[in-house]
Amino acid sequence: MASNTLKPLGAALLLAALAWPVPSPAETVPAPATAPAPIPRTAEGKPDFSGIWQVLGEAEYDLEPHTGRRDAPPGPGVVVSGTIPYRPEALAQRQRNFEVRGKDDPRLKCFVLGVPRGIYYQAPFQIFQRPADLTLVHQFGNQVRTIRTDGSLHPEEQHQELWLGDSRGRWDGDTLVVDVTDFNEETWLDRAGNYHSEELHVIERWTLIDANTIDYRATLDDPKVYTKPWTINVLLHRRRDKGFQLIEDYCYTLDYAPFYPHKEGK
Amino acid sequence: MKRLLLCTAALGLMAIAPTVRAQTAPAPANAAARWEKTVPVIASGDWTGARLPDGQPDVGGFWSNTISNHSNFTDPQAGPPGEPSAAAKLPRDQRAPSRVSDPADGQIPYLPAARALQEDFAKNFPNPVKPRYIEPLARCAPAGVPKSFMWHGYEVRQYTGYVVFLFDSGTRVIKLDGSPHLPPQIKLWNGDSRGHWEGNTLVVDVTNNNGKALFGRYGDFMSENAKVAERFVFDPAGQRFNYIATFTDPTVYTRPWTATIPARRFTAADTPDGWHFDVKPVNQPGRPLRYEHAERICAENNGPFGGGAVGVPSEEAVISR
Repeated sequence: MASNTLKPLGAALLLAALAWPVPSPAETVPAPATAPAPIPRTAEGKPDFSGIWQVLGEAEYDLEPHTGRRDAPPGPGVVVSGTIPYRPEALAQRQRNFEVRGKDDPRLKCFVLGVPRGIYYQAPFQIFQRPADLTLVHQFGNQVRTIRTDGSLHPEEQHQELWLGDSRGRWDGDTLVVDVTDFNEETWLDRAGNYHSEELHVIERWTLIDANTIDYRATLDDPKVYTKPWTINVLLHRRRDKGFQLIEDYCYTLDYAPFYPHKEGK
Repeated sequence: MKRLLLCTAALGLMAIAPTVRAQTAPAPANAAARWEKTVPVIASGDWTGARLPDGQPDVGGFWSNTISNHSNFTDPQAGPPGEPSAAAKLPRDQRAPSRVSDPADGQIPYLPAARALQEDFAKNFPNPVKPRYIEPLARCAPAGVPKSFMWHGYEVRQYTGYVVFLFDSGTRVIKLDGSPHLPPQIKLWNGDSRGHWEGNTLVVDVTNNNGKALFGRYGDFMSENAKVAERFVFDPAGQRFNYIATFTDPTVYTRPWTATIPARRFTAADTPDGWHFDVKPVNQPGRPLRYEHAERICAENNGPFGGGAVGVPSEEAVISR
């Protein structure tokens, strides 16, 4: 009904506004080196990712293209290949996850969201950067992740089954490439029940495309769940609101916080 | 890590050695040597050690307190309520002093009603029949101010304009930019911190406290009205610091009072012990031994522990956003 009242230009603008936060993946490939925008750099000359970042868009609701539904706004999808290449039995599991998403999504317990979900979850995170590492402090829950860029390798100890995996980064020109391994199978990839197993292997590519925008790509490989590796692509935006800072959000404490200090509770 | 972490593990045992976590870390050869009985004197003054490019004293690395965990705030080596340590039988001067360095009697100057609440918690701690008697850290709540400095060892990372503390149960980001605090309606487990350096001392002003973390197993506490003035005084060699915090809260205390918690640095020269120095060797063949801390997880792995504590695990959704 509303669309009947829109003039063509208005409709076009509305569509553009809806589509803008997450352009189709092909459009977000870093521009060729015609006139690269200046980016902040560290004293060592590496791209400086320091700052508070946040995604714009609907990836957290559903990584794949989807129309609007009761618990998710419509979204164009952020999977470069369009859909996630599930193995047939895994697709059935994803469908079961989807049906119980309102109660089984681990985010509802404020658990660590994992990699890459924490990156495109709709809450800010702050990157602190030193030559030897980057520290990602997420506002949501108790998620703190270190990406080592000191040339060290994944730990010799395997099968720790980490919530965030083990992250080792290297520089490929101005792109930070991070190899993330040794996950558990407890986390989901979004609110639609997309998932992985403990065999997940993630390769992230972080590229500043201007001073205030990161092109973020995560390629996920998991032979138990997917038929081939596939890639997520989102843009991360610097939070530039005046005086903006992270506000701790240890939401897993909400149920019991009313009992303290020395109170009967709700 | 999927194995059960047991955030606080079995009560008094934790004062001496980790239980479950010891599976992945060798027990210390001499447990008694893990704790000291005295608090070193470190004078405020100039900083003569290494500095970071932005001029901050370089104090990054692994640290842990030297006298005891949070079982007992005012008699740190006497053990938690109902479970006195072996040392509790010794004359008082053979244990570390109270963390309360002012007033001189080592006691928190509570108002009568606040003292009654603290004593009620201590009395019920060994057999917590209500949720309010479970220490919040056992449920993976951030240890907050000042308990974070009495729990497991922690890591300091510094950046231009920031000092960041990575604790096992929460993270504190201390801004050094002189910006205003968050609006007072916002109350947080770790409060909101603004700091600056004065010579060898990191001076931090903590507001926006929610008062929920408690200071330890005797139920010592502040309220959401408290302000905390912290001073981290580092020794010239950068191997020790004293955490000196003054608590002001007219709704809980009769007057401001001050806590002192000593800490020391842990390096590759130390043996990982799963508590003070819960680290693993960095995998970097051919290079000198270094250590790193694995991911810090708690709520995801927490479960009920010995003693039948109630209400710890949560299978239900806690948010609807």
